[in-house]
Amino acid sequence: MNIVVPIKSVIDVELNIRVQEGKIAKDGMSYIISKWDENAIEAALQLKEKHGGEVTVVSVGPDRASESLRKALAMGADKAVHVNDPAAEDSDSFGFAKILAKVAQRGPFDLIITGKQAQDTDMGGTGPILAELLGLPQVYNVIKLESDEPSTLKLNRLGHQGQEMVELKLPALIAANDSLNEPRLASLRGIMAAKKKPLDVLKLADLGLSPDEVGAKGARVRTLEFQPPKRRAAGKKFEGDAEEVTRKVMDLLANEAKIFA
Amino acid sequence: MDTLTLDDLSGLPGLLTEEEALIRATARAFVAEQVLPQIADHFERKTFPDELVPELGALGYLGANLTGYGCAGVNMVSYGLMLQEIEYGDSGLRSFVSVQGSLAMYAIHRFGSEEQKQAHLPPMARGQQIGCFGLTEPDHGSDPGGMRTFARTRGNTFVLNGTKAWITNSPVADVAVVWAKLDEDSHKAVRGFIVERGSKGFETPPMKSKMSMRASHTGEIVLSDCVVPKESMLPLSNGLGSPLACLNQARMGIAWGAIGAAKACFESALAYARTRTQFGKPIGSKQLIQDQLVEMALEITKADLMNLHISRLKDAGKVTPQQVSMCKKNSVAQALRIARMARAIHGANGISLEYCPVRHMLNLESVYTYEGTNEVHSLIIGQGLTGFSAF
Ligand SMILES: Cc1cc2nc3c(=O)[nH]c(=O)nc-3n(C[C@H](O)[C@H](O)[C@H](O)COP(=O)(O)OP(=O)(O)OC[C@H]3O[C@@H](n4cnc5c(N)ncnc54)[C@H](O)[C@@H]3O)c2cc1C
Repeated sequence: MNIVVPIKSVIDVELNIRVQEGKIAKDGMSYIISKWDENAIEAALQLKEKHGGEVTVVSVGPDRASESLRKALAMGADKAVHVNDPAAEDSDSFGFAKILAKVAQRGPFDLIITGKQAQDTDMGGTGPILAELLGLPQVYNVIKLESDEPSTLKLNRLGHQGQEMVELKLPALIAANDSLNEPRLASLRGIMAAKKKPLDVLKLADLGLSPDEVGAKGARVRTLEFQPPKRRAAGKKFEGDAEEVTRKVMDLLANEAKIFA
Repeated sequence: MDTLTLDDLSGLPGLLTEEEALIRATARAFVAEQVLPQIADHFERKTFPDELVPELGALGYLGANLTGYGCAGVNMVSYGLMLQEIEYGDSGLRSFVSVQGSLAMYAIHRFGSEEQKQAHLPPMARGQQIGCFGLTEPDHGSDPGGMRTFARTRGNTFVLNGTKAWITNSPVADVAVVWAKLDEDSHKAVRGFIVERGSKGFETPPMKSKMSMRASHTGEIVLSDCVVPKESMLPLSNGLGSPLACLNQARMGIAWGAIGAAKACFESALAYARTRTQFGKPIGSKQLIQDQLVEMALEITKADLMNLHISRLKDAGKVTPQQVSMCKKNSVAQALRIARMARAIHGANGISLEYCPVRHMLNLESVYTYEGTNEVHSLIIGQGLTGFSAF
């Protein structure tokens, strides 16, 4: 089973994110693989371990994206493709999906696994557009995956109030929820072996794409500006005996916050 | 205001390769997920998290810097970074990793026959065989050349007699690398022997009443007419220099490790100082406390950079024993100081296992003593400087 996993390198959300002149400051930050993409990698590796085949990870981004690709190789992916072209930067979801579709079409594949959304933008657009461009069926928000034979997947997906059990014939695209699995840590042997695995670096031209189809130029959704989140106002502190404090709090909840209205 | 981290001060991440950074990040994630949530409890109950051993094997942490036989073959810097993250968790767990890899496996890797390597190294790397390293005796610690464990030839066997004390992992070890003298009583007669659990006359009672390294197995090795086949001797071991070479191998890792414990103490003290309020203000706003935090951060930064530099020399094959001694002595002595300062900054909470400093502080008392005491490393460096042996 040949599986393609697109991964996004995002700023570590545990860190303080700084906004400068309407943009997110990117230098001097540390980057991680968007968490749902790690679940996608883990799912792909488990399928490969069961049915054989190859896992190819793909990332579109500047130099630093290669770190995320190496990490995926260290976890056990077989090949990596890094689309590193300044003209691809600031693509919208549509642009990224166009690039990823071209990469996927470079070889035969049975399955594409994405995360259900990126950890930085929470947009969740690239996967569905990619499925559309490649004419694939898609199942989103997968929380359980079984596969007795390589041509079919049995999936549970999470809905608002419950789960939907579906069967999916490949080729297809699925998107992982973080409860799908527990992504493995890369072993030292894996990290050492990753050095020797192929990591292709491509430009847009290598994929037959022109700079104005994608990137900032080709984007139809344009980010106008980022603003740092407003600091929350300080909370109120109540003192006194329990009865008195309870009365004050209830009064404020009813009359100021109007939560019972 | 955004506050600085230890990495901001030292710039350490910028000095690492992509791989080294990944090894560090992975070990950190492992410790955060699997070690930190349970380790204080193990320390309190005086138990070791045995279930982590196969996990350490699967991650390639056991014998990580050896080559072949299922070992990852990473460089000294990567190995040190990994040990630092583990000791950020606990010195007991780091001791397990050091003894298994740098002492027991290293001794077999360097001095063993091909058959011995094939039989022991792959299962030890996977964590399926636990090893220990028996050099110290009740009456011979800093001066192991005085050891009273002997291996006498009898037909096709050796008969071992003697007692080793303070041996990490011995109570749970499947194989012990034991150092003993052949028939004559001299440094030159020291050889290594692989003794397997189950050999007659081989016992490993635990050391009692430990107040340090409580989350680690420590025991004796009692050999009473213990008969082992001729092939149990490590054929390339030759004199006291052989076990000392193993210690030298482990020491660089211990230097890195101790600073991991120091980092955990510092971070705990910093967080505490920023939130603990006395006299109406956070104690971290007071000059006396800031001075202590700065002192701690400075020593950690200096130690990290020195350990990195000397490890790069080691990776280039250019390191001297005195340089390794400097790292062991400096890192452990400073880590212990830092742990004590951090303990005090936590006030009464500092003596509780709810916070990490007292646990690290107690553990570091052992690290100060093993792998060459603080004083012994002064003697090694002092001899290098003056030309006089003060042993
Ligand atoms: C938790 C723990 C785990 C251990 N694990 C192992 C293990 O796995 N394998 C193993 O073989 N050993 C192990 N050891 C033993 C350790 O290596 C010894 O304790 C150490 O070498 C010191 O020996 P000693 O305790 O006999 O102290 P001594 O050698 O008796 O030293 C006592 C004091 O005298 C000082 N001193 C000694 N000689 C001199 C001198 N010439 N000049 C000035 N001062 C001197 C020392 O620095 C020390 O302060 C472990 C110890 C501990 C605490």
